[in-house]
Amino acid sequence: MQFDSTRRNFLRKTGLGVGALTLGPVVQQLKARARGQGPNAPRFVFVVESNGLPPEQLAPSGVKRKRRHQRALNGPSEFLDVSLKDKELPSSIAAISPWKDKVTIVQGLSGKVAGGGHSNNFMALGAFGGGRGSSGESTSILGPTIDGALAQQIGGIFPHVGLGISKRLENSVVYSISAVGRDKPLPIIVKPDQAMGALFGSVASGSAQKEFLAKRNLLDFIKDDIKRAEKELAGPEKDQLSVYLKTFDTLSQRHSRLNEIKDTLRKHAPITSDKYTSEVETDRLDAQFDLAAAALISGLTNVVTLSSAAGIRDFDICFTGLGLKKGKHHTGHGGSQNGMTWAETYEMIRRFHFDLIARLAKKLEAIPEGDGTMLDNTVIIYLSDGAEGHHSRCWEWPFVMLGDAGGKLKAGRYVDYPGYGLLGHRTTANLYTTLLNLAGSPAERFGMADPNLKDLDQTGPLTELLA
Amino acid sequence: MVKFSSVFHLALVAFFIFSLGSSLQALDEKKEKKRKEALEEADKKAFEVNMKSYKDHVQSFIKDYCASCHNEKRKKADLNLLTLSPDMKLSTSASRWAVVRDKLETKEMPPEGKDQPELSEVQPVLAWIKAEMKRSRRNFTRRIQVHHANEIPHELLFDPKNDSKLEVQPRLRRLSREIYEKIRQEHGKGFVNLIGNPFTPDPRFLFKDMGAPELDEPTTSQLLRNALTILERHTGYTIENGKVKLKPGAKKDYIKFVDPKEPFGLEEKKKAIQYQFKRVLGRNASDEEEQRFLKLLEKNIEDAGRTLAVRYTLAAVYLLPESIFRSEVGAQLNSEGRARLSANEIADAISYSLLDQRASNELIKSAEKGELDTPEGIREFVFKILENEKLRKPRILRFFREFFEYEKATEVFKNPEEFKGHKARVLVSDTDNLIRWILDRDQDVLKELLTTEKAFVNTRYDSNKKRLTQYEGKSQIHLSYSLPIDWKWTDQQPISLPAGTRRGILNQPSWLVAWSMNDDNHAILRGKWVRERLLGNKVPDLPITVDAQLPHAPEKTLRDRMKVTEEEYCWQCHKLMNPVGLPFESYDHFGRWRAVEKGKPVDATGKIDLVSPTFIAEPIHDAVDFVSKLAKSERVEQVFIRHVFRFFTGRNENLGDGRSLQEAQKAYRESGGSFKSLVASILSSDSFLYRTRG
Repeated sequence: MQFDSTRRNFLRKTGLGVGALTLGPVVQQLKARARGQGPNAPRFVFVVESNGLPPEQLAPSGVKRKRRHQRALNGPSEFLDVSLKDKELPSSIAAISPWKDKVTIVQGLSGKVAGGGHSNNFMALGAFGGGRGSSGESTSILGPTIDGALAQQIGGIFPHVGLGISKRLENSVVYSISAVGRDKPLPIIVKPDQAMGALFGSVASGSAQKEFLAKRNLLDFIKDDIKRAEKELAGPEKDQLSVYLKTFDTLSQRHSRLNEIKDTLRKHAPITSDKYTSEVETDRLDAQFDLAAAALISGLTNVVTLSSAAGIRDFDICFTGLGLKKGKHHTGHGGSQNGMTWAETYEMIRRFHFDLIARLAKKLEAIPEGDGTMLDNTVIIYLSDGAEGHHSRCWEWPFVMLGDAGGKLKAGRYVDYPGYGLLGHRTTANLYTTLLNLAGSPAERFGMADPNLKDLDQTGPLTELLA
Repeated sequence: MVKFSSVFHLALVAFFIFSLGSSLQALDEKKEKKRKEALEEADKKAFEVNMKSYKDHVQSFIKDYCASCHNEKRKKADLNLLTLSPDMKLSTSASRWAVVRDKLETKEMPPEGKDQPELSEVQPVLAWIKAEMKRSRRNFTRRIQVHHANEIPHELLFDPKNDSKLEVQPRLRRLSREIYEKIRQEHGKGFVNLIGNPFTPDPRFLFKDMGAPELDEPTTSQLLRNALTILERHTGYTIENGKVKLKPGAKKDYIKFVDPKEPFGLEEKKKAIQYQFKRVLGRNASDEEEQRFLKLLEKNIEDAGRTLAVRYTLAAVYLLPESIFRSEVGAQLNSEGRARLSANEIADAISYSLLDQRASNELIKSAEKGELDTPEGIREFVFKILENEKLRKPRILRFFREFFEYEKATEVFKNPEEFKGHKARVLVSDTDNLIRWILDRDQDVLKELLTTEKAFVNTRYDSNKKRLTQYEGKSQIHLSYSLPIDWKWTDQQPISLPAGTRRGILNQPSWLVAWSMNDDNHAILRGKWVRERLLGNKVPDLPITVDAQLPHAPEKTLRDRMKVTEEEYCWQCHKLMNPVGLPFESYDHFGRWRAVEKGKPVDATGKIDLVSPTFIAEPIHDAVDFVSKLAKSERVEQVFIRHVFRFFTGRNENLGDGRSLQEAQKAYRESGGSFKSLVASILSSDSFLYRTRG
């Protein structure tokens, strides 16, 4: 099959492929942490909120920032670099002020290849384009998204954990913004109780050891049964079974690994509450942040994507938990409610997200690692799949980052890149290249180059952000 | 019934004729060696045959039609066809030959303006590529399997002289989301929120249940979790005062397998296994299966005790390949290199196609009696299902929903301040009802779909009571249909709409809203829809260098604002969409009919062209005129049939499906436009019933 090789590479690189599990790098990582050593690569957490992140709402005190015009040469020709030291963070993200020296607000990047719309779907984290599908915003997957690429690079028991919420309660897993390769979307589990089962199920119930053995027997049995069926087939239909078999191999291996670290899992597994099955979307997001923290701390994963209803199917979610009655589409079209303008509503919803981000940061900060804490080796990246606004055009794409990747990032700053097409202008692809480099990849580019910027050098990381 | 694995067995025996016998089980070295020798011998022969046909047909074809660009000097697309190795086994040329095959099949090459080969010249080349791929075991999936099937030349498909050989790969398809949904509802009754549906459609396809998407680890993981959750619930109990008390979701039939008071000897263990097979797969376990499951059960009892052992053993039945995959592999190859699906596979395929579920016992019995052995028998059976009012056939309405996509109306945000009467859900329900009504009458279905003057207004179908009710009490939904403001709801529906204002699905407010923007019509998407789904052309994707945005000019009409797309570069594609999208300007973006726009009479003119010889610049006056003209076209009928075919076979058509499609059209016409006959024809066609190798 055509896409097999990508998948296989993925499995191999992440140590999840057949016969590649003896070493258990995660166990080593946990041991290293106990010995006071940091990890080889930082961890990454992507928080993707739907419906756009207006650039004018991200300026710290004393800095004026307007939304840029939707055309080339739409900004200043100079790179702006302001230290956050004596500034106040914009109010919607004030919750992360305790870590101001680790915050980088990045403005002025463009991501035009993605095309824009209510959501850029996979293109938001993928920095590729796909034309527009018949429904408006394309959901094509032309390559890996940055979280998928980082997962490949770093690895882990679960190379990538996708958690999130969907506006539709009946959804359990959605494929919306993350991918590991062309046409290979990564799942975002949108039901916290199911995510709990997937991540901590092995230690969640009492008779864990017995269940563990029975599960191993079951997995072995099914593998054997698939092999029998496989022997009797040929051609593409046989491939189907091989893939099915491979998924069980992965499960078996993960099963053994989870056993190796079960004490850690028991220690860090979150205690479930009715938030995990709540009909209120803010509750579910809250639970997902808990799970994300626990998964990172217990070493289950190094790359997490938290999707707050990102993707075209969910972007107009209504945050009833915040007292709102109208969805984000309404707000995006300038609609007011509860005595708040659209802009105030955006900020209020964002404030909720940054409360959760702050809580996550706090939890990571409480775990010693190397000379510092887990937070020192983690980068949290907040963005919107809807780039700069409700009807995004991606002339600019703001980001808020928390974490300096063990001192490799020169954080504590507000930076603003020159206007589209001007010398020094950079794209989201450059930011993603930066992240890949932080994770130890020598990559010089990521995603797709913007054909309208062919006069500029579009390769390499954002050197301005590096220490 | 014939069990799953023996169906595979038959297929294999047919495929490796030279490795007959019991060598499958007995893998002793001697036989293995013999098998290898036989394979090598067969390979050698195949290579000789292939090289001969390469020399006889392919070389000259390349020289005549390809080599003027793809030669050593010009190497267009980095491809020199004169030196591309014809040995696909020893070289890596197969992927490039696959491109050649795709380009030839879709007539993309040779390019316009160059000499075009006859079909009879192309066919041997395609046959050679296929044969050599088969020999080298390098099967490159056709782009057409996921790409736009309209790329297959329409005229050739429906050309009675098209004698391309049937070509349908055997396939294992995982269950669709809807099939699994039924299982989930049935087996997870009472705790269905704990059972996730892990199957997501492959977004590359037009319809949701197409192709054979692969399973991935998160999906399997969920399937495993579901299986264990179901068993845990079914066998959940506590002991109170020495007595077993059932927990919610527990079933008596299961509890007796875990109740410590109940005996659990060999007989009971066998019963448990058989019970679970019957419940999940609708059949008994074979002796061999029973033995293997017993072994697992014993081991689990030893490791984890009786209760857990029952759970973890019976859960395995949910995960067997037979429980997860639909098998369309075929039994024995006949002399033409085709294998008819086995009787059970046919029974299942028909049942899945119409009912979203595995074949019922009744259907299996018919299959075993040989009632599905002929196309006539199958047609009769399909009719029996379609006419059985007790059976719900969710796939039928689903086809129309996925074809017209009017359901998307609920996803398009409209400002309620602008028109309070807009209720997208109701509009969708109305269109559902209109389609049901047309299907009930089952005459001239396509024509009716496109041109009926009837409509349902503010209606909901109560599927239990089988009658219509009013959807919303106080409402202005009738204004979406441009009915008088004082119109009173009636249960005598459908009603006739004001003459000349709208006809058929494409003029229904649900469809118009589904293909609109938040605050305006979307003539471009509508045009794309008509172009692809009714006229059968392909509209290229938007080039990423194009910043597709109409100028912001509220004082101008959409037609005026779309003038920017008439520049030469844009027009290459927009000529396909604008003229067949603008006739719907007869309505505003809520789907309300209008005579005046921005103070001027509405201009809803357009043109049907670029599908010669069917239409040569047929002028269109307005939306009603447009759909009437579309309904008269045989081409539109054929393109519609192609879509029905895709939906019910779960794949895109290729040239080898020409005959099946032509027969389907014939069946449709001869029955006076009966959708039932059309579906019955497709489900009994060679394309549905046979699989080919190579």
